[in-house]
Amino acid sequence: MEIDDLGESSSELPGFDRAGLLKRIAVGSAALSIPALATAQGAFGATAAGGGGNYPKHPKWKFAFVNHVTTNPFFVPTQYGATDACALVKCSYTWTGSTKADVGEMINAFNAAISAKAAGIAVCVVDKSAFEAPIKRALRKGIPVVAYNADGANSGPKARQAYIGQALYDSGFAMGERIATLVSKGDVAIFIATPGALNIQPRIDGALAAIKQSGKPINAVAVPTDPALDVELGKIDSYYLGHKTLAGMFAVDAGDTQGVGQIIQKHSLQGKVIGGGYDLLPGTLDLIQKGFLEFTIDQQPYLQGFYPVIQLFLYKLSGGLQAPSDTNTGLLFVTKANVKPYLTTKTRYEGSSSAQKYPVS
Amino acid sequence: MSTNGGEALRVENVAKNFGAVTALVDVSLRLGQGEVVGLIGDNGAGKSTLVKILSGFQRPDHGRIFVNGKEESIRSVDHARSLGIDTVYQDLALVPSLSVTHNMFLNREVTIGIGPLRWLHNREMRRRAREYIEAIGIRTLRSVDAEVAMLSGGQRQAIAIARSVHSGARTLLLDEPLAAMGAKEGEMILDLIRDLKEKGHSMIVVAHNFIHVLEICDRVNLLQHGKITFDMATAETSAEQLTDLVAAEYRATKKAKPV
Amino acid sequence: MPVAEATSPTRRASLGWRVASALLLRREASIFVVAIGLMAFFWFKNHVFLEADNIKNITETTAPFALVAAGEVMLLVSGEIDLAVGRTFALAPAIVYVISSQDQYGLPIWLGVLLGLVVSAAVGLVNGVVTTFLRVPSFITTLGMLYLLNGITLHLLSGSQQFMPGGATFQSIFGSQPDEYALFLNSEFFWAIGLVLLVQFILTWTRWGLHTVATGGNLLGAAESGVNVRKIKIGNFVLANLLAGFAGIVDSTRITTIVPLQGGPDMMFFAVAGAVIGGTSLFGGVGTVIGSLIGVGVLIILQTGFSILGLNAFTFPIVIGLAILASMVATVQFARLKNLGKLQ
Repeated sequence: MEIDDLGESSSELPGFDRAGLLKRIAVGSAALSIPALATAQGAFGATAAGGGGNYPKHPKWKFAFVNHVTTNPFFVPTQYGATDACALVKCSYTWTGSTKADVGEMINAFNAAISAKAAGIAVCVVDKSAFEAPIKRALRKGIPVVAYNADGANSGPKARQAYIGQALYDSGFAMGERIATLVSKGDVAIFIATPGALNIQPRIDGALAAIKQSGKPINAVAVPTDPALDVELGKIDSYYLGHKTLAGMFAVDAGDTQGVGQIIQKHSLQGKVIGGGYDLLPGTLDLIQKGFLEFTIDQQPYLQGFYPVIQLFLYKLSGGLQAPSDTNTGLLFVTKANVKPYLTTKTRYEGSSSAQKYPVS
Repeated sequence: MSTNGGEALRVENVAKNFGAVTALVDVSLRLGQGEVVGLIGDNGAGKSTLVKILSGFQRPDHGRIFVNGKEESIRSVDHARSLGIDTVYQDLALVPSLSVTHNMFLNREVTIGIGPLRWLHNREMRRRAREYIEAIGIRTLRSVDAEVAMLSGGQRQAIAIARSVHSGARTLLLDEPLAAMGAKEGEMILDLIRDLKEKGHSMIVVAHNFIHVLEICDRVNLLQHGKITFDMATAETSAEQLTDLVAAEYRATKKAKPV
Repeated sequence: MPVAEATSPTRRASLGWRVASALLLRREASIFVVAIGLMAFFWFKNHVFLEADNIKNITETTAPFALVAAGEVMLLVSGEIDLAVGRTFALAPAIVYVISSQDQYGLPIWLGVLLGLVVSAAVGLVNGVVTTFLRVPSFITTLGMLYLLNGITLHLLSGSQQFMPGGATFQSIFGSQPDEYALFLNSEFFWAIGLVLLVQFILTWTRWGLHTVATGGNLLGAAESGVNVRKIKIGNFVLANLLAGFAGIVDSTRITTIVPLQGGPDMMFFAVAGAVIGGTSLFGGVGTVIGSLIGVGVLIILQTGFSILGLNAFTFPIVIGLAILASMVATVQFARLKNLGKLQ
């Protein structure tokens, strides 16, 4: 049972191998053409009922999204993406799971989706083993399953048909490389809300590896905080006060990133301590613009809701001929140089507005 | 009323403190076999404390207790029961959500089972409960499975007394059995007490209503300032005298106040 | 002898009528009716609700809550409450992990489970002793434990999810989530049913249970009758935490993972809500374990049913909250009507 409590965990992505990633980008970008085609036909509703775009009539399939932090603001654009995709292909989706990354709750929600005969399931695989059996059961019953945002263990067999999200380890590595360019030497703390969690731990692993690889005299340390947003801030503050010689403070999840920026602002550390992290919380963007944070990484959560629906839909429509494929939703560094559009627009893609607008600004 | 000369209960120089509060200073009291002694005193005089000591619920700080002529050190409620003393408290110690049967047998349950695995023998307990109820003369109870919460005050009192009687106690301590009871039910309880006396039980009855005390008790003891200050056969005293005695101290303090 | 007023003994009604009224008058009757009603409603809305898959889902989800609720019922009946059983739910499998995982000590699984249960019982013992001997209200004692146990669990698991040890045999006996279910239902559910019946038996048919009711129904009176109320309370704390720890071990086996924050206060509230709508009073002296199983079942039926109907996750809590209130009102009113009939 989900009672809203601390809900804020990092809504991060898992990672997978680079080679596969490059291969799938091709397919992924092909998927991008669908909405283009659809809009080229005119607004939905102009075509014959039940189809969506060029497509023939089909049952209004219901897909189930099983999420680990259902109330986390990071996933608001994901839900918009899913909503928009469903409108395109005339389907619908449900948004369930756990508010506090409780694997048991997620599995119960997953099983409920199976017994409700969902047309397809998209799940954040935040555990390396717990989801294997339920996913296999769904597949046996002919329900396609894709993973989004988190993809379980880095190695080993995976039951899901495809993964849609950001490469965890790789994005962490990219961050580590950037840290090495911004910080020349000294102590660096990288904050992580839930260490070991498969959706964010690989990021730190990547960052630490990149920093080490750079050869610079940087001593990077992973510091656990808390899944709860309000507690994170206090912990970052205390850590800084105990380590005033830090050269940089970074984070691998949305809450900690904003927290780092706020602490840098609180103690007026800009220029002395470099900060950066992930995701586009409004507070984070503001802090970048004001110069308290150097960068944040956009995971494009909108696409993490959009693509799963399209892929599952095509699987159903084609009777399995069009199988879901791994899709990288991208990695973009947002810095003071390019933060302006993010700040001045309130868009569906960031979750800051629910309005459908073109152009966005 | 004649007694057979033996003593059911005797206490000598019993004292009890609760931290800074002294409840009993030096209490000596005697209950003969087959006798009914009334224990009176103002509120807070320590009557309930004395009853709790005699019943085994509390230990005295000082003093000696003799049961049936033999000195005893009463360790617990169970121990007191094994010596033949049982108590019916002011609050009746009944559990409202339990049935008459289960209340009757609380902590004295009849069990059935195999080896160490024992469970409640409800059928047997029900049967005995019905017997006891009838033996004690309660006719208005429809079923022994009724929840005690549903019963009237008089019925509950009677059940509490029946419970004590049938646990094999010969000496009964009744703490305010008539408190908060209407006239009709009060009469029923008084009859019950008389009946028990006829059957040979010895009783100490704590009460406030002196008319009642004079009706059923052979002797009356007054507990004042932690001591028994008055011990007389009821035939030789009256309600007015008892009222005077209890109120005397209050009146004395009233007079002593500066005008 | 008081004047005997001859009242004829109650005439024995026919067997069928007696059985029917005995069942209907039971405390559990009202919540049972609610459960059946809800199942019918959801089946009517979508026949998928009563299909095998969904039944399995409902029973699987209900099992751990039912185990925790059973223990809470015993505590509530005795006049206490344990707010931290949800944390024992996480601590016990964490102990199993430390003892039996290949990453840690790697000792045999049965040893890990045994120690997990021993630690659960110890938690109950501490809760009970602090409440009865140190006179701290159980609400406060277990509130403190809520944080204490959470911290210990986080340490044992190094703050992150860990793989639950245990080989195939262990898993099939203790709540696996296999590809094909043995005997149609998940084994965790059978454990839940068995233990619920056992605890109900203890409550209704043993001296311990009777003394538990007495302790909660009239603490002073029970003590005056010689019931060892301290022992009863401490014993029930131990029982509740043993059940919660067992539930945690079994459920972690089912999902093959131990999550540090699993269970927790949410689980405890859910179990207590199930117990209360099933007929257990928060004030002590009255309770039913079978009722709590049905009560928890009702909550899960609601959750699953609305999930199938496509209710948004954010609307769930509203529905669950209203459902708890409505069931509570229904249960109370039903009981009142019953009692009016029972008065002499």
